[in-house]
Amino acid sequence: MQRLALLKRLPLLVVVGLSLSLALQGKALAQQGPQLTSVAQSKLLTDPMDAAWQKVPAADVPLTPQAGVKPALMATSVSSVKVRSVNDGASIAFLLEWQDGSEDRYASRPESFRDAAAIQFPTTGELPAICMGVRGQMVNIWHWKADWQTDIDKGFQDVPDAYPNFYKDAYPAVNVLTGTPPFRMPKDFESPEAKQFMVGWTVGNALSEPVRTSPIEDLNAIGFSTATHKAKQNVNGKGVWKDGVWRVVYTRALKVDDVDAAALTAGQEVPVAFAVWNGSNQEVGARKQTSTFLNVTVQAAGGAAALQLSPALLGGLILLLIVAGIIAFRMVEGRSRQTS
Amino acid sequence: MPKVFNWQINREMEYPYEAAPPKQQFAAVFDTNKCIACQTCSMICKNAWTSGRGQEYMLWNNVESKPYGGYPQQWDMQALSLLGPQTWEGNAYSGKTLIEAAMTGTDGRPVVGYTPDSMEWANPNLGEDEAAGLIETGTFFGMPHPVWSFYLQRVCNHCSYPACLASCPRKAIYKRQEDGIVLVDQERCRGYRECVRSCPFKKMMYNITTRVSEKCIACYPRVEQGLQPYCTVGCIGRIRVNGWIHAPQEADLENPVDFLVHGRKVALALYPQFGLMNNIYYVPPIHVPAGYLRQMFGPGVERAIEAYRRAKDDPEMLGVFMLMGATERWIEKFRVIGDDAIGYDAKGDEIARVPLKEPVHIRPNYDSSRLVFRHNTP
Repeated sequence: MQRLALLKRLPLLVVVGLSLSLALQGKALAQQGPQLTSVAQSKLLTDPMDAAWQKVPAADVPLTPQAGVKPALMATSVSSVKVRSVNDGASIAFLLEWQDGSEDRYASRPESFRDAAAIQFPTTGELPAICMGVRGQMVNIWHWKADWQTDIDKGFQDVPDAYPNFYKDAYPAVNVLTGTPPFRMPKDFESPEAKQFMVGWTVGNALSEPVRTSPIEDLNAIGFSTATHKAKQNVNGKGVWKDGVWRVVYTRALKVDDVDAAALTAGQEVPVAFAVWNGSNQEVGARKQTSTFLNVTVQAAGGAAALQLSPALLGGLILLLIVAGIIAFRMVEGRSRQTS
Repeated sequence: MPKVFNWQINREMEYPYEAAPPKQQFAAVFDTNKCIACQTCSMICKNAWTSGRGQEYMLWNNVESKPYGGYPQQWDMQALSLLGPQTWEGNAYSGKTLIEAAMTGTDGRPVVGYTPDSMEWANPNLGEDEAAGLIETGTFFGMPHPVWSFYLQRVCNHCSYPACLASCPRKAIYKRQEDGIVLVDQERCRGYRECVRSCPFKKMMYNITTRVSEKCIACYPRVEQGLQPYCTVGCIGRIRVNGWIHAPQEADLENPVDFLVHGRKVALALYPQFGLMNNIYYVPPIHVPAGYLRQMFGPGVERAIEAYRRAKDDPEMLGVFMLMGATERWIEKFRVIGDDAIGYDAKGDEIARVPLKEPVHIRPNYDSSRLVFRHNTP
């Protein structure tokens, strides 16, 4: 009799199980691969060469070439990226480390392509169906560029930096009384008349901005070809190449007043993905190697990470508990009816 | 991949986007036979558009000596060898276009191409005036001359099926609906340089200061005002004329470009086998071996040269050639009335009138007013 009652409820159990598994599917996807924890500690690590990073547990994240759309990368030149993260309750830092024998720091010759690396988060709480997001499932990308790093470390990489023997004695509207040939960007070219020949700069393209404040561009995207420079730039950092390894730190305040930014809350799990570009292999734009999404658990300050549940998981568990309760209640009720 | 029709190679071909022809298509005809490689076109363009920081190496317009010159160096030989064998069956191209060849490629690129380096860009006129062979003593006493060279004038082709646009992962390149001019959106471009790699003519250039790519803009602010581009109006050899090009079945023979391309078939696109339906047309040089020219301009080249040789007996063709460089304005239509060739603007107003034959003045050998003899002074 009891067995029959359970059998009768089998479809209900299947439905419950199915809905639970659907609710967990996003989590399951994100849980493939290595697990990453942003360790809570009193000191935020902002220097990629800081020895204290070695005490932070690392996740080895495998990378695969982007071969879904053309121009595609057919084989990886960087097969994995080592990721570490810490937070001090106010800000979070990620350290990305990867092997790259060529230090490609410049994009100031027609043939020079720079190294780069990016971290990507969904902004909507759910994983986007495809890698750069889709409409309605926007992603936030933190894109570190080696040429921007050089601009910050050594000053804006101007023509005389790319070609040391370069000389030109005059440019339209560039004042020879205040500037000395072959002149310097941006100070000698800031008048509107001189600037009009540098159209990317004139129209405000972030790539063309000669005064860099961060080596990391903060972007949003809703799919391929849609990467957009955010009006509010939240991310800073630093990259250093040494002995065939790039080490890049990304830092951001955990709490930012920006709905388009990744939500990084202490005590929560956040899906995250990584990408690396190797400049000397002409890797730029879509030609990159990427990871799948994995989770980073942002440890809450003041102790070990509390058990954190995502809304989907929590909802599923509550549903399961309610259903189990109902089943148990009915079973008890049935038994008492039998005995009476 | 969608199929589009390319009447330059007389067949359908693969292109990543559906055909979306503009309302009218910017085009030009350059007469290679009249060019003296003075580079005035290069300089007027340079002064107008590329004198800024980061543009030092750029020549949106250049003139190179063939067969050895090239800017960037050997762009044509490199593109042709990457493309592989190119075969024609009659007037139809039976080989692969740059996009079709990339479909079977293994490098994941949408278009067959390469990225030139600084050194290749650095010597824009290397090979100038170098002839195609050794000149032996006495060679030039015989005709026809066994060695040759000629000048090729190059700007962006504002292709109907641009390779740059096809390869841009950023969708930063667009073809204007109003005139078919191909432009790079300077706000959208992120300097990936897939376009630099894909354009076989290498007319897509990376600005090393703004770190985004730039190209010939067909002087669109002038075109919008009914004016021809600077390179055309600056040409002291009067070898150029701009106009709107139509498909062969829609050709308007009162339009100077349609007349030369479709009417007299005297002007041909450069390397039509690339499959881009490029819109700058050339009157081929008449003294260059046919084999070389067939590779460069396709199978119609011998007929084009025959037609060009008849120009002196063809008042209308002569009329168009005389109207080249006769006005700064955009010639929408032309007519030959009596001994004059007349150009008209879009409203039908006369904007240029030139004689088919320039008058010849014969002056006496002795100038009695100045008491001097004239010696070979024109």
